[in-house]
Amino acid sequence: MPVDPARLERMLNPRTLVVVGDKGPTFQWLTNQKQFTGDLYSVQVDPNEIKGIEEKGFTNFTSMEDVPGEVDLVICAVPRQIAPMIVTDAIKKNVGGVSMFTSGFAETDEPEGIELQKAITEMALESGLPIVGPNCMGLYNRRLGVKFTGDLEQGEEGDVSVLAQSGTHTIGLSMALQAAGIKVSRGISMGNAIILNECDYLEYLLEDEHTSAIAMYVEGTKDGRRLFELLQSARGKKPIVLWRGGRSQAGARAIHSHTASLASSGDVWAGMLRQVGVIPVDSGDEVIDTMAALVNTKPSTKRNLALIAMTGGQSVAITDQFERAGFTVPELSQASYDRLAEFFTVIGGSYRNPFDAASTVGREEENLEKLLDILADEPAIEGGIAIEVRTQRYDKDPKWLDATMDLLDGYRERTGQPVIMLAPSGGVMSAGGASEAATKAGEAITGRGYALYSSFQRGAEALGRVVSYYEALDAG
Amino acid sequence: MSNPIADARADGRTLLTEVESKQLLYDAGIAVTRARLTTSADEAAAAAEEIGFPVVLKIVSGEIAHKSDVGGVALDLADADAVREGYETMIAKVAEAAPGAAIDGISVQQMGQAGTEVIVGVTTDPQFGPVMMFGLGGIFVEVLKDVAFRIVPLEPRDAKQLVRDIRGYAVLEGVRGQAGADIDALEQLILLVSAFAWEHQEVAELDLNPVIARPDGVLAVDARVVLAAEE
Repeated sequence: MPVDPARLERMLNPRTLVVVGDKGPTFQWLTNQKQFTGDLYSVQVDPNEIKGIEEKGFTNFTSMEDVPGEVDLVICAVPRQIAPMIVTDAIKKNVGGVSMFTSGFAETDEPEGIELQKAITEMALESGLPIVGPNCMGLYNRRLGVKFTGDLEQGEEGDVSVLAQSGTHTIGLSMALQAAGIKVSRGISMGNAIILNECDYLEYLLEDEHTSAIAMYVEGTKDGRRLFELLQSARGKKPIVLWRGGRSQAGARAIHSHTASLASSGDVWAGMLRQVGVIPVDSGDEVIDTMAALVNTKPSTKRNLALIAMTGGQSVAITDQFERAGFTVPELSQASYDRLAEFFTVIGGSYRNPFDAASTVGREEENLEKLLDILADEPAIEGGIAIEVRTQRYDKDPKWLDATMDLLDGYRERTGQPVIMLAPSGGVMSAGGASEAATKAGEAITGRGYALYSSFQRGAEALGRVVSYYEALDAG
Repeated sequence: MSNPIADARADGRTLLTEVESKQLLYDAGIAVTRARLTTSADEAAAAAEEIGFPVVLKIVSGEIAHKSDVGGVALDLADADAVREGYETMIAKVAEAAPGAAIDGISVQQMGQAGTEVIVGVTTDPQFGPVMMFGLGGIFVEVLKDVAFRIVPLEPRDAKQLVRDIRGYAVLEGVRGQAGADIDALEQLILLVSAFAWEHQEVAELDLNPVIARPDGVLAVDARVVLAAEE
């Protein structure tokens, strides 16, 4: 539907929010909005629920009409039979828009659900009411504290917005990005997309000043041409990481040509994504990994890297993975080798590139400083550094890692090249998966704006996708 | 000049014949072998003179799917006499192998030279509308499905990427001392087909299969155009 931009703006950046039909004992929707920066009200008619709502300190009205002033966003959590009445009230109140958590509509494939959805759609279209969903988790807005789960942060504006055709993936991607130290600006769960669809949201996010990159999960599109054109318009403007789920085939139709018989929807999508210059990925992990590299490194099209590992075995493993991802690990100039020979411990170590460095940099901090100085001067290294870091015992002894990051800050500042942090599970210096040390080290690393990976492969592939993205942009 | 799309619509057909398909594409500046529908040996010889030797003869019948199985293809005919003889022989062979099949005539076509076979096609995707496909022909497309797609219309950058997207691209560059293909000409062909499909959205499917890619240019030797069913 042609969406009124002013109304969409109100709905996505609300100053007044009403939750309709929330229920005890948790009152999850009201509770989720605890950090909402505007005015929050409840609408509920059930006296038993009203009691609980008021006990929790929320202001309740028994009708939307009674809510004072303009309402920008309504979160609708009523049973499906009631939903048309809430839409009627919202239209009467001239609200900005409705985010409909209520489910049980066309997704059930049963006549009642389909009928109800049709009724709501018709009412909304007629009155120009924007609806998110139904059957969705709705909206997250970091700045304003609108949330679909209380675990998401409220605070200064973020970088990345998440747009997904699945509530689970909207929440999962938002939470995982946050855990990777990336500030998520907005999250949008599209649900059945009866009024607003992926194109409407994407159009908004491409212009949104609080969104510098977009993570999308898409299974299909109702308007492929518009989506294609919007993605094309994003080229060189905002990077988009797109995870396509499902490989749904087109409905059966007569096919007379070879071309038609070969045009699987997955292959056509893959070609389309290449064409528009979006970064295609195949899993949620890849979305997070890629975003971490994208947000935490400056644009680079260079593939010549220095690799620093802590043991001989890991030197081989790190090289294999980065070469597989399309990087080169070049030899350095003689001048650099001469400088390295002055201090590098070759007993139990080596410095051709990759660097087997534990016995050198583990001992004295100045050695890492010297090594980074040499690399910054080295013309053969332009694509940055990937370094295995020690996260073990970080909770007890943070000194080595903190000092290492100070030095890497300097390298990044001086060269502008990417620095990728690797704490491979099973690495001799990595803290165990969920340990206190791993958690603390992870927070410290990502908090300082570094991309951190739990395997060489994930780090190599993520940086590889980001470099490919900038290469394609560069090629024109 | 007749309009193949209008002719097919007038007959209630969505499938254009090879001759019609080639005329349509040739008129759009796309490198296809010339083809003429003829209904007598003399007419065939005259068409061959006009197209230039050597030529290929192909039986034209809506009821015969696999032409070569019924003796409906004759290659490399070098002069007018060979064409006349080829014409008569083909009519006789097909009548024997496919008795009762309605024959529209025989098409006389320019003979393509040997080279690397590629496939260039267009189909209508339910989500994205007209999309274009490129791949290496023969076993690469049949077995390995080594093809790549782009949404129509393509920009020059897209055509460039498209031909390089397939795993078999190295074959087009030339391997083991074999000459490569004229990649620029291939990209040009792809862009012309894209423009054609964009202008003729009534075309639902299109196959140029194979296109012969040689160091000195590209030429489609078979073509098939399918129109969308009328609403």
